[in-house]
Amino acid sequence: MSDTITEAPPSVPRPVAAPKKRNWIKIAATVLLVLFLVALPILTGSQVAYLKVAQYILIGTVGGIGLTLLVGQAGQLSLAHPFFLLVGAVSYAVLAGDPAESPGLVGLGFPPLLAVIGAVVICGLVGLAFAPVAGRLRGIYLGVASLSLVFLGLWLGQSLELFTGGTSSGRPPPTFELFGFAFSTTTPAPTIAGVPIQKQQRLWYLFLVFALGAYFLARGAINSRIGRSWRAVRDNEAAATAMGVNVARVKAGAFTISSAFAGLAGVMTALWLDLVKPDENEFTGNYSLTVAIAFLAIVIIGGLGSVPGAVVGAIVVYGLQQFFLLGANQFGWFADAQFGGLSAVILSAFVYGAAVVLVVLFEPGGAAAIGRRLTSRFTPRKER
Amino acid sequence: MILRRSVLAGALASTLVLAACGSTADSGAGGGTGAGGVKTDKGVTDSTITLGVMGDTSGVFKNLGAAINAGNQLWADDVNAAGGICGRQLKLEIVDHGYKADTAKTLYPQLEPKILGIVQLLGSPVLAALKQNLIDDNVTAAPASWSSQILNNPNIMMIGTTYDLEQVNGLAYLQQQGLIKDGDTIGAIYIDGEYGGNGLRGVQYYATKHNLKVQEAKTTSTDNDLTNIVTGLKGAGVKAIALTTTPGQTASALAANKALGLNVPVIGNNPTFDPALLKSPAAASLDKLYVAASSPPFSSKTPKAAQLATEYKAKYAGSPLNAGVDVGYVEGLVWQSVLTKACDNKDLSRAGVQTALKSLTSVKTDGLVAELDYSSPGSPPTRGVYIAKVDPAAEGGLTEVAPLFTAPEVADYKAPFQT
Repeated sequence: MSDTITEAPPSVPRPVAAPKKRNWIKIAATVLLVLFLVALPILTGSQVAYLKVAQYILIGTVGGIGLTLLVGQAGQLSLAHPFFLLVGAVSYAVLAGDPAESPGLVGLGFPPLLAVIGAVVICGLVGLAFAPVAGRLRGIYLGVASLSLVFLGLWLGQSLELFTGGTSSGRPPPTFELFGFAFSTTTPAPTIAGVPIQKQQRLWYLFLVFALGAYFLARGAINSRIGRSWRAVRDNEAAATAMGVNVARVKAGAFTISSAFAGLAGVMTALWLDLVKPDENEFTGNYSLTVAIAFLAIVIIGGLGSVPGAVVGAIVVYGLQQFFLLGANQFGWFADAQFGGLSAVILSAFVYGAAVVLVVLFEPGGAAAIGRRLTSRFTPRKER
Repeated sequence: MILRRSVLAGALASTLVLAACGSTADSGAGGGTGAGGVKTDKGVTDSTITLGVMGDTSGVFKNLGAAINAGNQLWADDVNAAGGICGRQLKLEIVDHGYKADTAKTLYPQLEPKILGIVQLLGSPVLAALKQNLIDDNVTAAPASWSSQILNNPNIMMIGTTYDLEQVNGLAYLQQQGLIKDGDTIGAIYIDGEYGGNGLRGVQYYATKHNLKVQEAKTTSTDNDLTNIVTGLKGAGVKAIALTTTPGQTASALAANKALGLNVPVIGNNPTFDPALLKSPAAASLDKLYVAASSPPFSSKTPKAAQLATEYKAKYAGSPLNAGVDVGYVEGLVWQSVLTKACDNKDLSRAGVQTALKSLTSVKTDGLVAELDYSSPGSPPTRGVYIAKVDPAAEGGLTEVAPLFTAPEVADYKAPFQT
């Protein structure tokens, strides 16, 4: 918990006049990666299912980044992430919902972009409302206290049918639109390299923008004063206070920001599923305890506090099972698993369980630490 | 800073380049006319008709799900052995979503281009998540989920009757047997959600018809101890209990029913019973349970059901014995009627399947479910059920007490989306 995740150790004083050396390898790799992500709908082509998995990974990424900031950087354990996902999804449906199209449900009819921003803000505020609790508790106690929010969400989702649509049928989230451009299937559709850009391709680009925005916002926060205050509070509250950090405010701020990220992930979940539906019980569903554990696994596998690590974690936790399933159907893996035996679901559960155990045993820094070790091998030592 | 700027520039540039690649109209769905002058689009070639199965063989319903899959397969094998439909052999594309909506959402786009329709779509959360997909792609699907709440989707081909009507019939049966009478108080334990809510709707309807007082008790599917609820119902002086619960909850409710000395008859929806309960500690208290279901119990004397039971035991030795095999087979039989009709119309496209379905007014299934009428969307296609009673001696744990029972009260019942 004590290692900080920053580019350079803070003890190295940077000469002001010396020009910063550009790390061309890193820049090239980033550009290539972004190009790959932008071209993904073309690479997947008519195999839309794989694009669907990629979108799903981005949901895990955005939520995972939010949690890694809170758990890794600010040192507050939270299991309340699914609750904020639910709040985000429902807020979006309520804010953007057309009252004429969904009789019996509350819909305010705002433009979808405004509704997304509104949903994120609402989640932040709900997170802020939890700050008095978050400020008083630490470690596992905070984890358990935050768990109560998942149960609160279950109960609220079931009882506030006017907003959530109820557990029976839920409510469809309004289609996302930007200046008249609908993120749904249309004819004629624009094509890129012969691939029609339909609903799923459009959603991919939308999610990509959300995820890149979340990524760089989080990196910015970590490398700035906000991130330093988070780490100061995490490492030693007394010392942080002595240095002029307002501990209560920093803790509340971390919870707010993390909740806002979760809210965005919630909006993405609603758009991805074409459905906002509260869970029927606390163990299964999109806003359940299982999801709370999944997000924690993303953070642990990725390395506490590391934003790129959260991406890796999301790939393992959110992507593997779906990918195995698709592969199983396409290439006939596990074909004899009809009645029990090793199936794609079981194998992926083992992989992600094993990943958590191995990380905790051999590399507590997670994927982030492995990544740092690899990159340090390829970059020349800096002259001091 | 520099890194960030270069990333942004790169992203923008690549977007522009790609966007410049052109914008042309979508090439529409590949349609055509195949062998025998039959119009086709997706999932049908000159030699095969491919249908999808989205089942659960790894999630909470894996016992039932495996048997339903087997029923689907037995049907397809029978059809193929008899020469196929429309001169084409049947092929099933089977996927397992583990009763998870997110998994199903990913599997669907992979499956959809390969199939004409879906023989079995299991699970209400999955149905809810795929509702819009089915409508958008005009894919007709037979659900393994019996809520009348989903009948506002024209692409859902309900097989048999719905949970609400199971309860109406079940309570009517209890009253015909003299176990309850007008003016009594009855208990209703249900899971909050599509399944429980739909069952409760039937109980409420029957109660208003017969002036019964209903003590409602809501649970979630993970509450496994219903003793408190049953104690409360005993205090309220109930004469019968209606269950729309999980099998585990059923066991708990019946154990409490016996232990507290309440000993009232209990009527449950189709999914409330699982033969595995007979090996549970509650086994001795299950004898008060009646089950109302669209499909006959595994041990049914209905000739087709008996034949299926034999075939199933021969082909899938050691697999769980439950009514899933009948459910799966009858799904197939209804599809067979639809496909045959579509073939007569010379239109095996997805739109042709919809047209054929809506023109069917009396689908017969060798008595596996009551006669089905698909001409009025929104209304369950049939209103009759099989009533069975728990019997440890019977295979599958249930003995039929009233085959294809249709209570007079069901005729006036208006389903949520009935017009």
